[in-house]
Amino acid sequence: MTRRRIVRCLRVLALAAVPVGLVAAGLAVPAPVAAQPPAAAAPLAIEAPVQAAELDRIAVIEKVSPAVVAVCQVGGRGVGSGVIIDPEGYALTNHHVVVPAGQGGPVMQAGLADGVLYDAVLVGHDMLGDVALIKLLPKEPGKPFPFVRLGNSDDARVGESAFAAGNPFSVALDFTPTITFGIVSGVNRYEPLGSRPGGQEYTDCIQVDVPINPGNSGGPLFNMRGELIGINGRISLEKRGRVNVGVGYAISINQIKNFLGHLYAGHAADHATLGALVLTENEDADLARMVVRQILDDSDAARRGLNTGDQLVTFAGRNMSSTNHYKNILGTFPAGWRVPITYRRERETREILVRLQTSQAAAKEERPAPGGPMPPRPLQIEPPAPKVETPASKLFRPAKGMANAYFNDLASDKLLTAVKKHGDFGAAGGTWGAEGTFEAQDRKGDMRLEVAPGTGDDAKVTLKLNIEHKLLPLKQTDPREQAEPIGSGGLMMALYHYHRFLTVGKKGFEGEFLHGGSEPFYPPAAEPAPKGGLAATRVDADVMRTRHGPVTCKWYFGKADAKLQGFEVYLTKDADPCEVFLSDYRDVGNGRQLPHRIECRHADKRYAVLTVARWALGGN
Amino acid sequence: MTPVKRLTALAAAALVGLAPADLLARPLPQVCETVNSKLVKLFGAGGFARLNNFGAGIVVSPDGHILTVANSLIDTPNLVVHLPDGRRLKAEVMVVEPELDAALLRIVLDGKKAGEPTGLDLAFYDIPAEAKRPPAAPGTTAIGFTNQFEIALRDEALTAQKGVVAAYAKLTGKLGAFDFPYKGDVYLTDAITNNPGAAGGALTDRTGNLLGVVGRELKNTQTNTFMNYAIPVGAAVDVTVKENDKEKTVRVSLPDFVTRGMKGEYRPTKRERPTAGEGGWAGIVFVPNVLARTPAYVEAVLPGSPAEKAKLQPDDLVSFVDGEPVGSITAFEEYLRTRTRPGGTIRLEVRRGGSLQPVELTLAAPPARVVVVPPPKK
Repeated sequence: MTRRRIVRCLRVLALAAVPVGLVAAGLAVPAPVAAQPPAAAAPLAIEAPVQAAELDRIAVIEKVSPAVVAVCQVGGRGVGSGVIIDPEGYALTNHHVVVPAGQGGPVMQAGLADGVLYDAVLVGHDMLGDVALIKLLPKEPGKPFPFVRLGNSDDARVGESAFAAGNPFSVALDFTPTITFGIVSGVNRYEPLGSRPGGQEYTDCIQVDVPINPGNSGGPLFNMRGELIGINGRISLEKRGRVNVGVGYAISINQIKNFLGHLYAGHAADHATLGALVLTENEDADLARMVVRQILDDSDAARRGLNTGDQLVTFAGRNMSSTNHYKNILGTFPAGWRVPITYRRERETREILVRLQTSQAAAKEERPAPGGPMPPRPLQIEPPAPKVETPASKLFRPAKGMANAYFNDLASDKLLTAVKKHGDFGAAGGTWGAEGTFEAQDRKGDMRLEVAPGTGDDAKVTLKLNIEHKLLPLKQTDPREQAEPIGSGGLMMALYHYHRFLTVGKKGFEGEFLHGGSEPFYPPAAEPAPKGGLAATRVDADVMRTRHGPVTCKWYFGKADAKLQGFEVYLTKDADPCEVFLSDYRDVGNGRQLPHRIECRHADKRYAVLTVARWALGGN
Repeated sequence: MTPVKRLTALAAAALVGLAPADLLARPLPQVCETVNSKLVKLFGAGGFARLNNFGAGIVVSPDGHILTVANSLIDTPNLVVHLPDGRRLKAEVMVVEPELDAALLRIVLDGKKAGEPTGLDLAFYDIPAEAKRPPAAPGTTAIGFTNQFEIALRDEALTAQKGVVAAYAKLTGKLGAFDFPYKGDVYLTDAITNNPGAAGGALTDRTGNLLGVVGRELKNTQTNTFMNYAIPVGAAVDVTVKENDKEKTVRVSLPDFVTRGMKGEYRPTKRERPTAGEGGWAGIVFVPNVLARTPAYVEAVLPGSPAEKAKLQPDDLVSFVDGEPVGSITAFEEYLRTRTRPGGTIRLEVRRGGSLQPVELTLAAPPARVVVVPPPKK
């Protein structure tokens, strides 16, 4: 064999040994310079910072891996990934993972890095945002699960390192997570609704070059501090098959945080719309301006003063400079949330607080269809009764508009138990009276209030603000009468419901009595308005939703202390509610605390402030 | 390791000259921001089938000259540029060099004539200065910045992807059935930078120095797989041209293209032999080849071509060539490229109306310049 032949043989071997990527790169591989067999190379001295960085990375991966979930069908067939976010075993994943995992029902299984397959049940989901919350059942009652910390995805920056964990292609039969590593390729990305019915929209999402493959769906994206910054769920594809081509997307954890209260409370969460069509003023313009083109008359935005032609400047604190920006930020909110919006009309800039409405009803108005028909909105489908029975099946109760009503009961019980710390009013179901003073727009004086529950339907509310107002809340059904005193939006009705909520509780609300998830609450700002606008006054609250007769209420409990901060009373569906803000809580005896300052607002105006000097609570 | 400890380690490493460049450099997010401020999103021709109407470009002068790839995107008088700050401006093609697969554009402001100073004062890459650096060695960290999949609009940042320089080697690519004109050195990376719409983006090193211009979606002629490549900022190729009936070799380089191009002094190289295929040339323009197997329908015949002489007509369906069935446009072009030569004769059977017509063509040599067929107007 000539020397030349040997070289050629080596070349073939060398080619066979290079990674596929290099072969694919079409190298004109140069002939090796020397044909001698190489000696075993001495280990390289790795520089200290490199070694340190690598050890840090290994430590972070080891720390988070136990909380990474392989989401499986009952029986252990892997369909996706997930991650546990609290010691009770609640785990986030994708909606498009729990559907096949549950095989049409709510129960599934979940494998952890300890090699154990746990029973799990669907808790709540956000179909449009492609997020679901499941709960793993511990093998021993009360045993805590490993979990990860939620990060702040708004801090993620392009170029920052990140890693994904999950079970791509179901490679790990013992559920040890597969780790892939890369950088954040883009932030605040908008990935539109898929073309199929029941499609999902990724708003304000994180783009990564971290390899995300089938089976990674629902799994965590971490920053290098081991904080959860997103849930991986999508990749861009075109002509190279259903594998990663360097472009993956994670739902940002900050969006998920907005929905988390709804998910924990078992809701089939609904996304929001503004009730207005907002488009760039002129696609060809130098700089894009977002302008209100159409607005629904019965939308809250219209009632707050937004009109066609107004320029949207900020939405929930974010600058609006393209359609993507607008869709991005809007898509991160659940229906029913209030967000601050600033708009410009001529030379004046105004900030308003708008209640976002459900995307279901307004779907047609919200979405322009410039390039042909829009894909249909996903239908909310109630999960059918469980097909497979496991111990997790006990943690499921079907109900309309719910993913799993069992967890709504759980969440309401938990919240109301916490609320009881501020007093148990169950034994104070008789007539309540209050005396003090009031201050309204242009008058003030003594105030006297009496709420008499009566028996049957003869409940009666008397409110004396100089003039005496009376309401029989169950007998007077004319909305105009119910809305008295005029300008309050129904303060007497509100106080009747307040009494009922505290003294009767669940049994008093035959129409609805639900945990409504989490919402921001904005107590009225002191004058002058604080710096930072409405956002500075925001309080995070847990919400209860009730209906008694035709009247629906939303009750806002501060997350920090479970104290009732205020409530909204809707006499009819599409009118401004009577808003009641409660403060200056003081003990009224028997460990009961009641507010001594009650502010009533309606339609952006303060109706009155009631200052209570003395409460008198009647027993049963 | 705590940040303090890490800093100490870095400082210690720096003292003994051990610290790798990657760790000492500015944090990557800062680098990404700086690089992104020198790049633009491009929107032009395409938007149908698999021809993307989006791409990216590299700002090469404060006045708004832009270097990008010479693909079909720029074949339009309505080129639009989105600056990193979100401004949307018009642009026009100044000059194209197929040998480098490069195009030089300039921003044209409303109310100003093309070529008048724009006063934009943009952040930019100084191409001749960037080209002075020696090529980055394999293993060097490489970051791709592209507008693949049209993810970014207006002021949104381009997609950043990190990998390493896998090789610095000659390109052996093909575009559809044709050999790719550029035959010089390229950077190949292990990051999947070359997706739809990626062309014209930047490949930089870890500190943001420009390595090259991210290329198109090309397949390797050897393995038929997609490549992730960038044409180096200092790319230079020798091209044989004919001048006064004498062959001579000229050197074509990217820095020279940009420098003289911006002054309006650059003339594209006219190659003696065409780059598109070695086979015979019929002069048939087919319908857009948008399907996996697009039937070989004639859209037009070029004036003076063999096809015109043989009286081929629009809407003829080329059904057989030399007795073999023609399954698609690609198959027909492949046949011409591999089985024929200029001067040879082919026998076609074309379906016209309801019947098959025999047609004989004497093939010619392709015209000296590659004819770019404008995309059909929508």
